[in-house]
Amino acid sequence: MTYRSKLKQFFDGFNVVIFTLILLFLYIPILILIIYSFNDTKIIAGWKGFTFKYYQLLWENENLKNAFWNSLTVATVSTIISTALGLLTALGLENKYFKAKKLIQGIIFLPLVMPDILMGVSIAMLFSFLRFPMGKMTVIIAHITFCVSYTIIVIQSRLQGFDHSLQEAAMDLGANKSQFFWKVKFPIILPGILAAALLAFTLSLDDFIITFFSTGRGFNTLPVYVESAIRRGSVTTINALSTIMIMITLFITFISKPIRKMLI
Amino acid sequence: MERFTDNEVAKIEKENRSSWFLTTPFLIWITFFFLIPYLIVIFYSVLTPGVYDIKFVFSLESWSSAFSATYLDSITHSLVMSLLTTIITILIGFPVAYVIANASKKRQNLYLILIIIPFWTNFIIRIFSWKIFLSSQGLLNNLLIYFGLIDEPLTLLRTNGAVLLVMVYVYLPYMILPIYSVLEKFNYSLLEASMDLGANEIKSFFKVTLPLSLEGIFAGSILVFIPALGTYIIPQLVGHQSSAFVGQLITFKVKSIPRNWPLASALSFILLILVAVLLLTGYNYYKNISRSKS
Repeated sequence: MTYRSKLKQFFDGFNVVIFTLILLFLYIPILILIIYSFNDTKIIAGWKGFTFKYYQLLWENENLKNAFWNSLTVATVSTIISTALGLLTALGLENKYFKAKKLIQGIIFLPLVMPDILMGVSIAMLFSFLRFPMGKMTVIIAHITFCVSYTIIVIQSRLQGFDHSLQEAAMDLGANKSQFFWKVKFPIILPGILAAALLAFTLSLDDFIITFFSTGRGFNTLPVYVESAIRRGSVTTINALSTIMIMITLFITFISKPIRKMLI
Repeated sequence: MERFTDNEVAKIEKENRSSWFLTTPFLIWITFFFLIPYLIVIFYSVLTPGVYDIKFVFSLESWSSAFSATYLDSITHSLVMSLLTTIITILIGFPVAYVIANASKKRQNLYLILIIIPFWTNFIIRIFSWKIFLSSQGLLNNLLIYFGLIDEPLTLLRTNGAVLLVMVYVYLPYMILPIYSVLEKFNYSLLEASMDLGANEIKSFFKVTLPLSLEGIFAGSILVFIPALGTYIIPQLVGHQSSAFVGQLITFKVKSIPRNWPLASALSFILLILVAVLLLTGYNYYKNISRSKS
């Protein structure tokens, strides 16, 4: 018995060590960015003194501000459309006697497992084939295409827990179908819809490769701008930009919990 | 087969019509912007490249060059690196998932959030910071020199090792989360039973815990391997030019001038076939383990 519990202790200790090291590993890059954003040097180099000047440069960079607004516009429009499409599809697939259900579930699954690069290449070739000029419009179309499967699945998982006897209860109390939907069902599945929208918004903001393929000259989102800045070697403001983006992420993480609680 | 009255049949038919009505917008969208584009990829692969675009002249040139040594090497390289990434993420991800799953409920949530937060930072930015960390003037080299472990900065950046490190970094959460979700539902009385029957810790781990968590490892492997296979930005930022991933070659052929869209299409199609084969074998394997379980 003592032998066994010692062995277990060893394994548990070993696991905890690995866990701690992994957390360190996950946070190293983020700490580096934050520290280096205050480093007074133009190139990637050692510590050369503390400065705020890159934050100021960031503020004066018009291209960057444009890219930021483009990212927000694309994310907002594609979130609204992909969430609406996702809601309709998820509601349509609730019907268990629907013959095409299995096939449609399979189709929903495809974009999730497709490597981003293939989605990017194929959609770029579609627009080239149609001679459709690439820019804001094509980026939004591409983003809706890769977000919609995620929104369907998130809303479906909320619909799964829906108690269908509520429909009979509402009908017995004299509600018609649209009243039942808007007054009973919609409020219940709203957290699922919001979760789907939040996911679509983050996916859209984060995407690089599909945007890279579906955009034309002169329309940059933030990740595309960052990538081209890294490629050109003008990395000075990227650290400061990253630090701000990390802070925004942390802020959203901390406020999202109270908001979620308020809603549910 | 269930039997229905005429009334019920009429109701089901009505519901089916509304199901079609509700799912049609999605089906049209996905057909037009997801399925048809792949047909165009196949079509483009048998055309002739133009400098900026494509010439609508039939040619099998792109297929013969796609199967030449240069491109086959890069496909093999992508496969090997993705496989290594998957194996390393399993080896690291399993203990992490195990620790999270064995913590108290409150701790579990905290640990999960700690794992996910870095994941919410834009991934290009995270890769960029590894570039800073690993560069010859970077933090790691400076630290190593400071502690007297090396005299000259090591070449860490632009190596396959750097690519592997960053791939593991980027894809690790995709492995941890599915394994965690299986372990979290794990029934520990099975473990006790196996130990009561005389198995020791190690034996029970390999005979009970591991087989039951295969489902999570399997799901994680799909989530890691497939995006790793198509990755462009990681080898582009931290890898060496001489060992390009197939995703990089596809991107160069599409984006840089002179363009070669037929070749990019042929390579994309090969990648698509690889992914399809992986998913189908994976799906069959998954069906087998879930059958043997029940």
